[in-house]
Formats: sequence, structure tokens, C-alpha cells
Amino acid sequence: MPALTVLGFDTATAATVAGLTFNGQSFERRDDPAVGARPGHATRLLSLIEDLFKDGGVGWKDIDRVAIGVGPGSFTGLRIGVATARALAQARGLPIAPVSTLRALAAGALEGISPIEGISLRPVAAIIDARRGEIFAGVWEGEATLLAPQAVAPDDFCQTLRQLGCEPTAVGDGAVRYRSMLEAAGALIAADEASEHRVSGPAICELGARGDLVSLDKVIPNYLRQPDAEISLKS
Amino acid sequence: MILALETSCDDTCAAVVTDGGVIRSNVISSQGIHDRFGGVVPEIASRHHLELVNAVVDEALHKAEVTLDDVTLVAATQGPGLIGALLVGLVTAKSIASSRELPLAAVDHLHGHIAAVFLEPQPFEPPFVALIVSGGHTLLVDVTGPREFALLGQTLDDAGGEAFDKGARMLGLGYPGGAALERLAQDGDPNAFSFPTAKGVKGCDFSFAGVKTALLYAIRDLGEKEADRRRADLAASYQSAIVEALVQRAQRALDKTGRARLALGGGVAANGALRGRLEALAVDLGIPPRELCTDNAAMIASAARSVEPLAFPMYLDLDVYPTGAKGL
Ligand SMILES: [Zn+2]
Repeated sequence: MPALTVLGFDTATAATVAGLTFNGQSFERRDDPAVGARPGHATRLLSLIEDLFKDGGVGWKDIDRVAIGVGPGSFTGLRIGVATARALAQARGLPIAPVSTLRALAAGALEGISPIEGISLRPVAAIIDARRGEIFAGVWEGEATLLAPQAVAPDDFCQTLRQLGCEPTAVGDGAVRYRSMLEAAGALIAADEASEHRVSGPAICELGARGDLVSLDKVIPNYLRQPDAEISLKS
Repeated sequence: MILALETSCDDTCAAVVTDGGVIRSNVISSQGIHDRFGGVVPEIASRHHLELVNAVVDEALHKAEVTLDDVTLVAATQGPGLIGALLVGLVTAKSIASSRELPLAAVDHLHGHIAAVFLEPQPFEPPFVALIVSGGHTLLVDVTGPREFALLGQTLDDAGGEAFDKGARMLGLGYPGGAALERLAQDGDPNAFSFPTAKGVKGCDFSFAGVKTALLYAIRDLGEKEADRRRADLAASYQSAIVEALVQRAQRALDKTGRARLALGGGVAANGALRGRLEALAVDLGIPPRELCTDNAAMIASAARSVEPLAFPMYLDLDVYPTGAKGL
């Protein structure tokens, strides 16, 4: 079976990331706003996709599926990415493969470390800053999920790592923000500016290529957190 | 054939309208999930828009008996409204349009409310004065062409529909209570209480802060038991003050412009007392059916007919704008 041509994108973090994979080739276009600058999700994503099509010399008729990072991450960012994926799928009759943004972050990190067959690597903790003193975090060892994505306080997460006896490689803007706490818990973290801390477009595509297809009405963001109004109504 | 989307507040809307202004379908999915919060919660509205929007578009196409192949222009509300809610509609419209290399029309929501009267089968032709009153906006506009407007006045505080809803809540009618207040008012005496119509606000501007406070004090002064006994009178007097304030300003706008034609739009256009008072004015009235007065996408398609469409790929970087940022 020939390899699938996959268009993938992710808007869960401040970055707007798009990737294209086909015939063993992969392309990436991304927009990483300066620290504190407004993310370009709504304004940049479709342009990045058009640029990717030019890079790869492909058009809509060549795309086999859309892979979309469904978070967790910024609520508004997630909705822009998922709304785009759903509308593209609707307008072009394409299937959608939802991908966990944290899983993609972890997969990108494993690639960065260039794993050698048979060598056991550290597990990877993918951590996105969730604001308000929380992180979105998940831990993987190869294909196995050690800790499913969750919204958690950083010190509680460090506590869990200690209890599991897990000293992972930690990646993501959350790993950078809570570096000292995580390092004290045994985590290994690359320099702040290392590319492992950013979601990779091709990683979204690769996970999407072997991920399950979901009907577009079922593709919804993995918010991991209720709206504030819902929380305050309950308390 | 125009496919239009509207998601500026809590209704997820899609419509198919011909270039000539004939409505082929007009689908409105009211979320109705904000009642227990006593107001629209932007994050919850945005989540629901995302879950509903594609199904609503499908239904609009299906009801119009067309496919995307028949669509030649995609339109969406660009603002003003709730940012997160607007984004779902605009991003969906941009994505549908760009993946099919169709042009896109970015429409102002208030232009949409005015353009509702241009739709077939009984288009109301400019020039006229438009009074738009809803839970989100209250304004008077001199309309001289499909896209030629001069703002004559607007609210300085709450919107007219918001005043209805807040009064309804004070009278224990829940949220949104505008319609319940109107029903209660039918059994009451509109002259029982004298509530203010913002006489101090000159020209065509509106203010509903005073009448709201007056109702609050009246309820307090009557005491719980008496206020409850006279709820219908309170509702009728309160409604009457709001309607008088609206009609007064509409009359001033007609006098100022010399026009003899008035169009009504927005959710409050459904209010019978307001309609009755406006019908008593000696003017030619243009009031679209109720489903075209409340937020809907057919009105966005109607406005799109007079908006310069952006050709593919000129609109890829288009963003929404919030309430107060732009508009008429
Ligand atoms: Zn409106």
C-alpha cells in the first residue's frame, strides 16, 4: 500500500504549525510568535497550508487525510485548529485523524534524540503550560502511555513522577517554565530554545497517518478543563 | 448561490440565499444552554458553536437542495460579537472557501440586521430609518443604500433587549426573560408606575440604566409581598417605559432625516407593544418575519450581496473583530 499523503496541523500552543508528509518526504511550515505576542492561529494557519502545498507540489486532490492536534492547550487555539480541520474535511470530503498534541510533542522529542533500535530510552514527559499554576502533561515510553494527559499542578506532577520512579526527558513550554522543579524530580530538559519543546508538524502527520479516523462531528478538542462558569456554578 | 454563517453570539446559524435575495434555507440552532448562568457564557457558546457548525451548514445545504458545488460565494460575520464565537464561524467559512478557491465576503453583524429587510419576497427599499434593538445592540441608522449608512444614535449603556432581560430577572422571570416579561405585562397596567424614558439623553441616543434602577427601587419600596402582588403592573409599566424610549428616538430620527419609512430589526422586534406603538406612527413600516429579526445567517447572506468579496487567497489572514472595535 502506498504511503498516505497527510496534511497535519496544530494550534494548541502559541505556535501555529502545519506539516505535510508523503512518499517518505516531510515538509513543515510554522509560525512561532515572540514571547508574549498574540498567536497567529486564526490569521496564519490557512496561509501556512497554502505554502506547504507549494513546497510539496501538491493540491487538495492529493491529500488522503487531515491530521489535527486536538490538545490539550489553549481553548481558543484548539477551536481554530479543529474548526479548520472539520471545515476542510467537510468541504473536501476528507477523513480526519485526531492526534493528541502532547503525544505529538513526545514523539517529536523521541525523534530529536534519534532512538537506536533496542536501546531503552528514558520515558518522555510532554508538558504544556496550562496557566493558572497548572500544566497539561502526559508521559510515554515508546508506544506505551505511562501517564495519560491531564491538567495538574506542577508539584503534584513531580510528586507522581517520584512515586512512579520515573525520570523522564521533559519537553514543551511547560517543561521550560517549571524547569527547576522538574529537574529536582529527576527530569532531563533540553535548553530553552531547543526545537524539542515545540510541536512538530510532521509528528502530527505521522501520528495521524497511523491513527484512527473519526467522523468530523466527533472531532472535538480535548480541553481537559471545564469552562470557568461551569466550575463556579458547581462550587 | 451564497452560503452564509453567523456565530457572533449564542446561535449557530447557516443559510443559503440566491444572488437575487431569495432565501433557500435559513437554519438556526439556538444553544439554549446559558439560561442557568443568567447570561451568555462566551467559552460555553464557543464550544457549542464548534460542535454544531458543520451539521448546521450541512442542514442549510440540504434544505436548500444544493451542494457546495452550487455555492459561488461564502459569507460570514466578521464582527462585532464574542471573539471566540465569531472565530468558529469565520474560520469555518474561510476553510470551506479556500479549499474550494471560492471568494469570501466578510460581513458586519449590524449591516446584517439592516440587510434582513432587503430579502425577498418583500424587500424594503432604501432610503429609510432602521431601528435595530436586540440583547446586544440598540441603534438608529439612516439607510440610503444597500451599504450606505449614517449612524443616528445608539445606546449609552445597556442594549434594549438587555434591559428587558434584566427587568425580567428582577421580577423573578428567569433568563432570558424578555418574552416572559411581555406575557406578564399583558395582565398589567402600563400607567400604574411612572418609569423614566431617559429624558436627559438628547437626540437619538438611548439609555436604559435609569429605568432599570427605577424598577429596582419600586420593587424595594413596595416590599416583597406587595411587589409580588403587583408584578404584572410593574412589568407593564417597565415595558411601556422602554418602548416609549425607543419610539421617541425613532420619531426623532424620522424628524431629523425627513424620512417617512422605518425598518425594524433585532430580537426585540418581536415585542408586540413596540410593534403596536410603531404602527401608530404615520410611517411606512418594514418589519421582517421574526426569524429574520433575531440573529440568523440569511441576513448575513443578504448583506454579503453588497459587500466587495475577497477573491481567493486574499482572505486567508482575515481576523474577527470584537464588540466595540468597528462596525457601522
Ligand atoms: Zn444581533
